[in-house]
Amino acid sequence: MATLSEKVLTKSARNSKTEQNGSGAEVEDTGATSTTSTTGATRPVRPAAPSTPVLSVRDIRISDQAAGQEIVHGVNFTLTPGRSVGIVGESGSGKTLTCRATLGILPAHFEVTGGSIEIDGQDISGLSSAQWTALRGATISAVFQDPASYLNPSIRVGAQIAEVLKVKKGLKRREARRQAIDLLHAVHLRDPELVYSQYTYELSGGMLQRVLIAAAIAADPRILIADEATTALDVTVQAEILDLLADLRERTGLALVLVSHDLAVVAQLCDEVLVMRQGEVVEQGPTHEVLHNPQHEYTRLLIAEHEQYGLDKFLGTDAVEPAKTDALDTADAVKEDA
Amino acid sequence: MVRRVLSLTSGRIALVILTVIALLAVLGPLIAPDNPLATSSDTLAEASGAHWLGTDYLGRDVLSRLLDGSRVSVLGSLEVALTALGVGAVPGILSVYFGRVFEWVTLRLTDTLVALPFLLFAVAVVALLGNGITQAMLVTGVLVSPLFYRVSRAATLAVAQSPYVEAALISGASIGWVVRRHVWVKVLPPIAVALAQTIGVGFVIVSTLTFLGIGVQPPAPTWGGLLASDLGYLTQKPWAPLVPALLIMVTVWACNLLADAIRDVSGEAGRALVNNRKARANRLADTDSAAHGDPAHVHAGGA
Amino acid sequence: MSTDRPASQPAEPTQPVLNVADLEVHYGHRRRRRQVLNRVSLSIAPGETVGIIGETGSGKSTLARAVLGLVRASAGSIVIDGEEVGSYGHRQWRALRRRGVIQYVFQDPLRSLDPDVTVEASLAEPLLIQGVSRQEAAARVRAFLDRVRLSPELLDRLPGELSGGQRQRVAVARALVTEPRLVILDEPVSALDSANRVQILQILKELRADGVALVFISHDLGSVAGVADRIAVLYQGELVEVGATGDVINQPQHPYTRLLVRSAPTLHSAAADRAEREALRALLHA
Repeated sequence: MATLSEKVLTKSARNSKTEQNGSGAEVEDTGATSTTSTTGATRPVRPAAPSTPVLSVRDIRISDQAAGQEIVHGVNFTLTPGRSVGIVGESGSGKTLTCRATLGILPAHFEVTGGSIEIDGQDISGLSSAQWTALRGATISAVFQDPASYLNPSIRVGAQIAEVLKVKKGLKRREARRQAIDLLHAVHLRDPELVYSQYTYELSGGMLQRVLIAAAIAADPRILIADEATTALDVTVQAEILDLLADLRERTGLALVLVSHDLAVVAQLCDEVLVMRQGEVVEQGPTHEVLHNPQHEYTRLLIAEHEQYGLDKFLGTDAVEPAKTDALDTADAVKEDA
Repeated sequence: MVRRVLSLTSGRIALVILTVIALLAVLGPLIAPDNPLATSSDTLAEASGAHWLGTDYLGRDVLSRLLDGSRVSVLGSLEVALTALGVGAVPGILSVYFGRVFEWVTLRLTDTLVALPFLLFAVAVVALLGNGITQAMLVTGVLVSPLFYRVSRAATLAVAQSPYVEAALISGASIGWVVRRHVWVKVLPPIAVALAQTIGVGFVIVSTLTFLGIGVQPPAPTWGGLLASDLGYLTQKPWAPLVPALLIMVTVWACNLLADAIRDVSGEAGRALVNNRKARANRLADTDSAAHGDPAHVHAGGA
Repeated sequence: MSTDRPASQPAEPTQPVLNVADLEVHYGHRRRRRQVLNRVSLSIAPGETVGIIGETGSGKSTLARAVLGLVRASAGSIVIDGEEVGSYGHRQWRALRRRGVIQYVFQDPLRSLDPDVTVEASLAEPLLIQGVSRQEAAARVRAFLDRVRLSPELLDRLPGELSGGQRQRVAVARALVTEPRLVILDEPVSALDSANRVQILQILKELRADGVALVFISHDLGSVAGVADRIAVLYQGELVEVGATGDVINQPQHPYTRLLVRSAPTLHSAAADRAEREALRALLHA
């Protein structure tokens, strides 16, 4: 009886053999023996050697054909298994459009007008609708903000996860149900059997988001995009979801793209950070670098916000940079007209 | 609100038509060229210089009969609509504020009224109280009032639970203040829509009753009566019944058109309409805004 | 009413602007009774800023509504500026509210302003309710615009034409026009983006200099820590920890507080935080 975790882990183990990454394979084996291991063992998978990227976005440009305007002006990043990339920006910065481009779900009139996106080595620009359908869920998957609106309120949530399993993996009803419950367990829901039979109105925001994550990883994708997935949740619940994503990353080698307006959320989970503003990437680099050596004024502003108004002030952690109040003032002047 | 309705083409058409009908009702009998009751030997004649719309089966001038009969139809439908408004709207608004008992009683009364068939009741009233369409229309108005009760109650409830009403209460406002300043404005548009619709319904009811010969004794002309009396000649002289039929149809259509127009300019849809217009005006005035997007328009969709 | 002294060092004992003692609120009767607040006691001194932190369902909104008189308390006492309001009826509440002593800023900037009323009319409303003349109300409204960094040309706009940040500032200004002694703000910055959030927090910081007591209600410790003198933590209807901000954050006593502190996204979260959070969650759900 191979559970999801085992299946995903064996697949990752197969990958790691091609990777020549000693430490990676080691962690994978440990994981395979205890499918329900919690996050007690923290040995993050950070492949030391380069491996085949699962997602590579090269100088992507997205335009609104209706208005004849380029909205996203060149985004670059690469994802390898187990890595996570974070995109920070406000609404209108282009971060959501970039994600939608990688999923092939750009809104009407929006098109990729430059650069390329490769998923698992395959260029997505020429993909047909059927090919996209095969790709989604099985290779690349996503969760978004406001979990309740992504689930049908008149169908039990368990059935909605089982549907993914039936469609993508061709399972029969009983097997799909069992695996769905396994998935609900894998996302740390306390009583998976009960949750399987509940409707959306009976579940809290945090639980609904876990259900959606379960549905998103049901077909064992290699990439998971979380677009403001925790924005609508209480901070303690947000931490639970982020911890869950970190856990999934470790156990299954899932590659993550985390999108948020909060730099700290991204910093907590991601290896690399992209800061976007009005369609441009104003700063990019390893998390530690961006936090300790911010080059762009906007990044400094985001950092200063946490320093002045967040917990960082109290926790006495290593100073990032003395609070740049003048940066705050100039930014204030810029935003006065908002 | 009238101005906003007039800004829509549909609103303009509707108001023009209804104003004409109203004028006909007021001035009709005065400007009728011939005596509507005067018969002649020239039966079922076609439209001519002497009789603009021809004559009916008794040689009476159709135009004069229509003009004379318009008063009954218009008055009748107004009676229905205004009675329904008075009987329904006020309890509807009050039911939110006057306590549980009042709410329960009015709700159950409304439910009862909905169950009663108003056309049958109208006929029954005429049968009991004799001819005269007014009583029948008043009774019909009462029976149609649940629409107004529910519409005004729903609108009031929606407002009463809004944060801005709570904000006013927190600042020490009384219920009266809240109703005057916040509730009333929000309740008016749905009531206006219901009113326009009900006038249309009233027209149909009056026409139906007079078609059946109830309430108004022949030979007094009414639109429904005209339709009925000349219907038999549909194959021979089609224009005779067609004209009153068309008139009824156009009037009811105009009422519904007006109701649609009012709905389009009120509430959420109305504000979106105003915002779109302003955004368009800004874009025309300043070509730069087109490039950057009007910030007010962008944010109007919500935080 | 302005005081230059920082709120944490009163020279002489002053009457608290709000004193809640053993407050209990429950919904429903008998079998379906749900205890929302359980023996909550809290005291707010004039001019101080207190953050009440709790998650959805902790009772934080109910606490605010009970203090404002929108919800009836089942037990305990509430004293606002010296008046015991526990047994007040509608008329007495109206009289108290018209004094303009206590005000409220809603979470949702979009729905807290009447969409058919101009900004100026919304801002003047609390004053007009008090009986202030229209001209004087207009003048006082203008005086407050500066405080919340709103330009006068927004006065005759409708809320639908304003951005989220602007609307929230209008809501804050409306709460200030009566010069209250206490303003309760429910998640005032949760719905805003980064720049607007900073601006509102800055405005609120400046308000402290005027001696207005502020009560922030939020689920996020991080957003409140920068402005609050004291923090009160509400968990499942009970106040589990109260103390000076620095103390609560650096030496949290209750496991839920510890979880809160560890959960708030900071720029330098350590890997060990995750393990600690798991342990705390297990402890709380035991």
